[in-house]
Amino acid sequence: MKSVIMNQITKIYPGGNRAVSSLSLSLDQGEVFGFLGPNGAGKTTTVKLLTGMLSPSEGSCQIMGYDPVKDPEQIHAVSGVVTEHAQMYDNLTGLENLVFYGSLFGLDRDEARRRGTGFLQRLGLEEAQDRRLASYSTGMRQRLSLARALIHSPRVLFLDEPTSGLDPESAQNVNRLIQDLALKEGVTVFLCTHQLRYAQEICTRYGLIDKGVLLAAGTLEELRRAVSPRIRVRIKASNISPEITSCITLGGPSKPDAAPGKSWLETETREPSREAEARETWLEAEVGSEKEIPELVRRIVSAGGEIYHVSACLPSLEDIYFSLTSGKEARR
Amino acid sequence: MRPAMYAIIRKDLKGVTDNRQLFLPILLVPLILIVVLPTIFILSVRFIPEDAGDFNALLSMLPQTAMSGGMEQALIGLILNNILPVFFLIIPIMTASVMAASSFVGEKEKHTLETLLYCPLPLERIFYAKILASFLMSMFVSLLSFGVMLLVMETELFVLFGSLTMPSANWLIMLFPLSPAVSLIAITLIVRGSAKAQSMEESQQKAVFLILPLLLLIVGQFAGILLISPWLLLILGAVCAIAAWLLMRGCRRRFTYESLLR
Repeated sequence: MKSVIMNQITKIYPGGNRAVSSLSLSLDQGEVFGFLGPNGAGKTTTVKLLTGMLSPSEGSCQIMGYDPVKDPEQIHAVSGVVTEHAQMYDNLTGLENLVFYGSLFGLDRDEARRRGTGFLQRLGLEEAQDRRLASYSTGMRQRLSLARALIHSPRVLFLDEPTSGLDPESAQNVNRLIQDLALKEGVTVFLCTHQLRYAQEICTRYGLIDKGVLLAAGTLEELRRAVSPRIRVRIKASNISPEITSCITLGGPSKPDAAPGKSWLETETREPSREAEARETWLEAEVGSEKEIPELVRRIVSAGGEIYHVSACLPSLEDIYFSLTSGKEARR
Repeated sequence: MRPAMYAIIRKDLKGVTDNRQLFLPILLVPLILIVVLPTIFILSVRFIPEDAGDFNALLSMLPQTAMSGGMEQALIGLILNNILPVFFLIIPIMTASVMAASSFVGEKEKHTLETLLYCPLPLERIFYAKILASFLMSMFVSLLSFGVMLLVMETELFVLFGSLTMPSANWLIMLFPLSPAVSLIAITLIVRGSAKAQSMEESQQKAVFLILPLLLLIVGQFAGILLISPWLLLILGAVCAIAAWLLMRGCRRRFTYESLLR
């Protein structure tokens, strides 16, 4: 079953600012979907559209079969939301806050207390549970917000920058919790972030948005294929004959940090000199798929070359994102 | 649904009682109006010479029956039943305004309103729970203030004059139709402005407009132009109740999630 469906959804704010433009996406149950883009890309607006806080100017969406415009209360009953602007009460303790929100979701006080204590323990906040929120740090507030969003066992979780302000250990705890929820309990997670490396750690599928427009969506593999159908292979070898360098497809110069210990310019291989032939050197080739790599290696070895290192350079989410945004700029 | 509404009401009440900056004016203003002011009036009556003649114009407005116990008793009756009720009206207006500003605009200011809106309660229920919290606080403070005022004043009267003066029907009308109606008007005025107001102070300024007609009534009492009577208060109560109902009805329609979070 699809947990989240967005169909050509557009939001134009009064004043004409088009925050989201014809966005279509669907999320399966239990997936951790990374909704990625810079600040002001339209991520928070999308969360507000999906949770009924904003009405779309065009298009429609559904969460667990409910329309946020018609049934916002039903959406709120099945979803949990953590955003920067959804704060809790400073005059209440951590546990009192959770009990209060639990009672809003129909839990009785004992049940809310039991569930709240469980989440506080899981998120490393048990020692602070009886302290007023006013004394909590940003990271503690962030973790408590996650506990609050989970108090009623939601089926869909909307998280806007859930690990901002967290130390590495807390961030790891939060990530583990998010992954457990998705894997073991089938909770669908819609995670908005501008931290692409963080997203790559925990998400199963991604959507990249910029200036309200969805640039691409899919798994990492799908996005890689969409951006660059060919794979860059880096080879460290010696005794490379000119015949080999001329018959393999050389890629463009990579980033200097791609060759550990040496700069790319020092190991330029487009026209290897005779002195360089016997030296260890870095080659860069492009292949259509990973299956072509053994053949490439075999050819180098057959021609007398010695290989020390072979790696397929797959584009990271960051590479994909920048490639997509630069492509969009170029099209303009 | 109801437990959720009760939880909001409890939380809003606690939000004000936990905040000294808000709770102090709710306690201090009634204290001045129900303890300090009556004491000054009573002491003035006790120690001002009878032949001073300052109150003659005012006393001449009173019916003959009010003069039967002598000038002191007449003056005390005038203070208790005509002057203090008008001052007293400031209490529900002030309490309701402070509470409503904290409950609506304060939540927006502290970014807790959005979290509250993510709960599965219809917007209307959240809205009414918050109005009810402000109303209950206002009525509680008003009734408590009346009780304390009566206790303090009667004790002072007994010590200084050896007799007691009972409150008239003016108080009954003041406490029941008028105070609740005026509280609701104050709350709805704050709530109506809450979508646009960005700070609690900004929203509380609107309640000042309710104090202005009250000031006219106070001046009227002292100048002897318009002495309050049960009939006048009943008419005033009815007008305020109708105004409160109309304001509240129009109020709900103004709210959507989008307008509240703007």
